[in-house]
Amino acid sequence: MKRENNRGFLMFAHNNEEIDYMKLAVINALLIQRHLKIKNITVVTDPHSLKHAEKTLGKKLIKKAINNLVIVEKDKKFKEKNIRLYKDTSHSAKSLPFYNANRCDAYDISPYEETILIDVDYLILSDVLNQCWGHNNEFMMNWKFQDIMYERKDLSLNRLHDMGITMYWATVVYFRKTDYVKDLFECVKHVRNNQQYYRDIYKWPGNLYRNDYSFSIAAHMMSGFTDKGIPQLPTTLYKSFDTDNIHKAIDDKTIIMFLEKPKSPGDFMLTKWEGLDLHIMNKWAINRASKELLSYVDI
Amino acid sequence: MSTHLTKALEFANYRVTLNNQQSQLKAKTQSLLSYSINGGTFTIDVSLINFCKNLVEEKQESVVLLDIYKNPIKIDVASFYEEIRSRYFEVTNEYFIEYEKLRKARKVHKVLDLNEKGE
Repeated sequence: MKRENNRGFLMFAHNNEEIDYMKLAVINALLIQRHLKIKNITVVTDPHSLKHAEKTLGKKLIKKAINNLVIVEKDKKFKEKNIRLYKDTSHSAKSLPFYNANRCDAYDISPYEETILIDVDYLILSDVLNQCWGHNNEFMMNWKFQDIMYERKDLSLNRLHDMGITMYWATVVYFRKTDYVKDLFECVKHVRNNQQYYRDIYKWPGNLYRNDYSFSIAAHMMSGFTDKGIPQLPTTLYKSFDTDNIHKAIDDKTIIMFLEKPKSPGDFMLTKWEGLDLHIMNKWAINRASKELLSYVDI
Repeated sequence: MSTHLTKALEFANYRVTLNNQQSQLKAKTQSLLSYSINGGTFTIDVSLINFCKNLVEEKQESVVLLDIYKNPIKIDVASFYEEIRSRYFEVTNEYFIEYEKLRKARKVHKVLDLNEKGE
């Protein structure tokens, strides 16, 4: 088999009452095809989310965007327990279930030799992730990130705990199928299955289970209990936050954003984001811009 | 509010937007100056270009360079030099064009390349 056929993207999309993650996955899959010229896209979802997407987007569009759908059942107990505060800017917040329990199964689920695992809200607006393929490092993820509002600094996002380990972002993860990476994912699963134990040791804040925490802990353990032992991706992780909003999508690689000013919450400035991938944490904002985004990529 | 104060606040808003946009442009340029080959990643800058030019002049064909992870990567000198050189100018020329556009923009909507209605 050609090496290119063994490379692909993997996303997880499980809707809750408000957020249509499956729609975000379809948009992002089309963006991946457009900018990275990659057709191998696997999306892991559940029957309910898929049914909703088929009703709202149509089977044809889903098939066009995603060439491999993996349907799994949700762990209902986990879903009921893992509640997260979602914000649609500082003006609106809602507590909703956050289903992220199966991301640690990515290694087993991925049909590819080389996989880039991304959040559905990490919008692909460039081809920079193509730099990962064939890399010497078998596992890469970022601990460094850049807020696109350059003045804003939140030091609490740098570590799991003030005195704790460096926090890695599981937003984008590159991995190859090797024994070491398999063990690393087993370690992530162990953290998920023994949350209380690891929470006590690593002192992550709150009761919410986040993959950023479990991947950070696994990275710490699997690099011989050293800090920042796992290499970063060759690309920078750019982030906007749930207090920000999208004004409009100009084309398939340009978005005008409202960014909340750090010194006056609820007050915004505009910015034009162009030609670089971006993590947009305000899911409602992407949903609002979804029609525009689809019109640029679904041609 | 006095007209002077309104104008001052408008200007402050313009400066915040401009500063952020300039930082973004710089970041984009940096990202585009990253080049991955043979399993390694290099940051293209003038010192790497110069070093490679020397290697070409010394008629070296294949050498090992340390990438951003400090991993040894074997490269073919001539093609590597050509690639990083052309990428460098492609990216910096684009940076120059965008930078000049920003430098001349004196209103928020012009900084963002929008019309006055924000469209």
